[in-house]
Amino acid sequence: MVKAPDTLERADNSQGVRCRMVAASLSGKAVGQPVMRVDGIAKVTGRALYAGDVDLPDLLSGRCLRSPHPSARIVSINVGKAKALPGVRSVLTGADVPDTCYGRMCKDIPVLAKGVVRFVGEKVAAVAADTVEIAEAALELIDVEYAELPAVFSAEEAMRPTAPIIHPEAVEFVPGAAASIHGELSMYPPIPNVISRLRVRHGDAASALASAHKIFEHSFAVPSVHQGYIEPHTCLVAIGRDGLVDVWVANKGPHIARTHMAAAIGVQENRIRFNPVAIGGDFGGKGSLMDTLVCYYLARAAGRPVRMVMNSFEELTAGNPRHSASITLRTAVDPDARLLAIDARVIFNAGAYGGFVPVPTLHGGYGELAGAYRVPNCAIEVLRVYTNTVPCGHMRAPGAPQVTFAVESHIDMIAHALGLDPVEMRRRNAIAEGDLTPLGEKRRHLRCRETIDAGARAFGWDKPKSPGIGRGMSTYEHPPGNFGLSTVALTIGIDGRITLTLGSPDTGTGFHTIAAQLVAEHFAVSVDEVEIAQGDTLSSGFEAGASGQRLTTTIGQAIAAAADRMKQDLAALAAERLNCAPSDIGIGADGSFSAPGAMIDRRTLMGWAAERGKAPLTCQGENTPGRHSDRTSFVAHFAEVAVDRETGQVRLRRIVTAHDVGTVVNPITHQGQIEGGLIQAVGQAMSEQIVLKDGAVITAHLGDYKLPTAMDIAELETILLPGGGGTAPFSTTAIGEMSNVALPAAITNAVFDAVGVRLVELPISAEKVLEGLRAQASAA
Amino acid sequence: MRTIKLTLNGTSVSREIEDNRLLVEFLREDMKLTGTKESCGVGVCGACTVLLDGTPISACLALAVHADGRAVTTIEGIADGDRLHPLQESFLRHGGFQCGICTPGQILAAKALLDANPHPTRAEIQHWMMGNLCRCTGYYKIIESIAAAAGAE
Repeated sequence: MVKAPDTLERADNSQGVRCRMVAASLSGKAVGQPVMRVDGIAKVTGRALYAGDVDLPDLLSGRCLRSPHPSARIVSINVGKAKALPGVRSVLTGADVPDTCYGRMCKDIPVLAKGVVRFVGEKVAAVAADTVEIAEAALELIDVEYAELPAVFSAEEAMRPTAPIIHPEAVEFVPGAAASIHGELSMYPPIPNVISRLRVRHGDAASALASAHKIFEHSFAVPSVHQGYIEPHTCLVAIGRDGLVDVWVANKGPHIARTHMAAAIGVQENRIRFNPVAIGGDFGGKGSLMDTLVCYYLARAAGRPVRMVMNSFEELTAGNPRHSASITLRTAVDPDARLLAIDARVIFNAGAYGGFVPVPTLHGGYGELAGAYRVPNCAIEVLRVYTNTVPCGHMRAPGAPQVTFAVESHIDMIAHALGLDPVEMRRRNAIAEGDLTPLGEKRRHLRCRETIDAGARAFGWDKPKSPGIGRGMSTYEHPPGNFGLSTVALTIGIDGRITLTLGSPDTGTGFHTIAAQLVAEHFAVSVDEVEIAQGDTLSSGFEAGASGQRLTTTIGQAIAAAADRMKQDLAALAAERLNCAPSDIGIGADGSFSAPGAMIDRRTLMGWAAERGKAPLTCQGENTPGRHSDRTSFVAHFAEVAVDRETGQVRLRRIVTAHDVGTVVNPITHQGQIEGGLIQAVGQAMSEQIVLKDGAVITAHLGDYKLPTAMDIAELETILLPGGGGTAPFSTTAIGEMSNVALPAAITNAVFDAVGVRLVELPISAEKVLEGLRAQASAA
Repeated sequence: MRTIKLTLNGTSVSREIEDNRLLVEFLREDMKLTGTKESCGVGVCGACTVLLDGTPISACLALAVHADGRAVTTIEGIADGDRLHPLQESFLRHGGFQCGICTPGQILAAKALLDANPHPTRAEIQHWMMGNLCRCTGYYKIIESIAAAAGAE
């Protein structure tokens, strides 16, 4: 046994447990405290169980043969030689699996290609064998004859009337009517290869633009990037003798994944069990079933459990990376540089399949567009388009990093064109109490200007700087997610300890620790009195999973509901024990129960209840899903760069990040979200890009696809503006998607400030900067 | 096939293995030490970092036969019984991990650093840890964890 987290805590505070309960209730020992991770010991000792660590008797390894063509008809597949290889236990092609397609919303992804392939990397055949080596040798023995078809790689080309149609049968992919919270949605409108078109309007942008003092129009391009989780997609499927399908998969939302799997394979939901595993990073990329369906069919055909692990080549070439985007913004301003109207056209390249996202289009493509500003007239058109490239999925604030790069560059360009300081430009237009958002929504507690000012002060925006040094800023607004059902169960044992059973994995953010802190706070106990039990999908209530900054809000509400019920039940028990009415029971800060002249602590009460068959006691709780919270949050980033005029090399020297926050539940994990998100954004800004050649991803291993390393970080200062106001229990808001979205524009704005080169395409490269410098020189 | 003898986490081990068995496969599959993770498979990410005679190596690139007659240390072997290694304790206290998949490799790489250089500067820590990718933390808390462990020793 290694030390449990509580014993480490005790090293700092060697009082007895009961004393600490008192202290907890008085000083907030749970919420607000830098509590160590409940999964921490397991993770620093290597004992945490990830999907790839699960071992079963007779386990086989599954591998897939993938298409070398971006668009082709499969003329024939011969698997005879592969089947004959010793150690091969099952071989499948599209002909061996049902026609049912899978998708989180658009049901357009075949288990294995049926007749056609639509991107380089599409799964064409699959093998399960005794070892990975045998499975890979078998793949080499499969003969596939292809007849190549015309392919299209850019979203703009795919929308032309002459473009090849990638999914002629597309309208059948969305069962029932698709709806959008905002605007006017068309699924599969009559434009070639368009999955969805969403038009969102507020006010009258066209009239405002027609009569404006000045109009600015700029276009931007943001490439696809990979989520970069270090644990590749991994799944393991075992079918029991009784037909129960057991699944271990790196998936952030097991309940929804289970429902999708049930529909796809035609097995009842209660005959499928997704088992809890640790997740080695998600960032939005692990919401789909990925290889789980083919793994199921291999296991069924072989009569043995099968594990599939995507290697990093497959991850980078055939995962579900972020959508690339092209964005055009037209903005009208008045003589005082106030924004009057924005017209935005956003085109997302979805790749060959649309089913990796659970929505018609990417929410961040419009939901927070220019949300930090007062824009009385707004017209946004968002298109999501099929191409013959790797299918794209969600990544941390889906759509928002692309669109925010455009908006925050655009605002900077307007400021410079008008001779206005970029901070002043943003201050002047910052949304404030009483303003509607650009989409016409009402929000409260709007601290955009305060956030910008706090960041600018800490950064020293007005201080002099040396030649070659540039400074830039960017801002972003995003509310916590308050959508989707969360259900939890609280159990209080006969020893008085409390267990929270929930259906959400901890994708790495520390959410299980946050949940333990929320539970502990309701009962005024320290976190080591609380156990977190992630149930499998049969033993836990429905949970919509990690998404859109929702867990602390939605599970927080479910925990509060369960805790309220638990307190009532405990008060009734205490009343029975103390011979009084439940209304006479007072709950002490130390978790004890009192009536006039009598008192009982929780542990003694539960012991008494157990003798009467009334313990352990379990209470369920659920949230009330709404739309987004009306309390939003703001962030302002400030970046300082040094640019080498000889080489174009950009070095990021310093970041100041200012966050408008609610109650910070755990300062360690909160800061972890900020730091991790920022450095992901540094990758998006400075080094990461999925590069395609003839439709195929050529940045196919981590030597070519450059994730930031410990050498790529910058001096960092974080400013928190605690102001409460959060709508979730204990006035929390959200942090998970606040730090990664807007930083790239702060960096490109700083490059412009340094050398006058405006980059409208990410990532920043020395070549692009040098090209800009040479263009300047030849123009001079 | 050949027989290798090595010291694994302080214990003598002898096993017959295929000549082309990778060290990461030997550790994870044959020895069931799944604390060592495999990710990129090409020696870039550092998730599979283990110590070979105290030197950090990528177990995804090394053959198991390479460990014959030598000492291999994995994440399972650095705690002293019930007592966590100071680096493990420091990563816990300072939030030097999130999802945890890169953490065994980070801690072993850091151990090799502190064994060689007990009081590294922040720049030395950054430089040394360059070979261990982390997507969750942005590295700040990893560096802080290592610096704190160095200060504590």
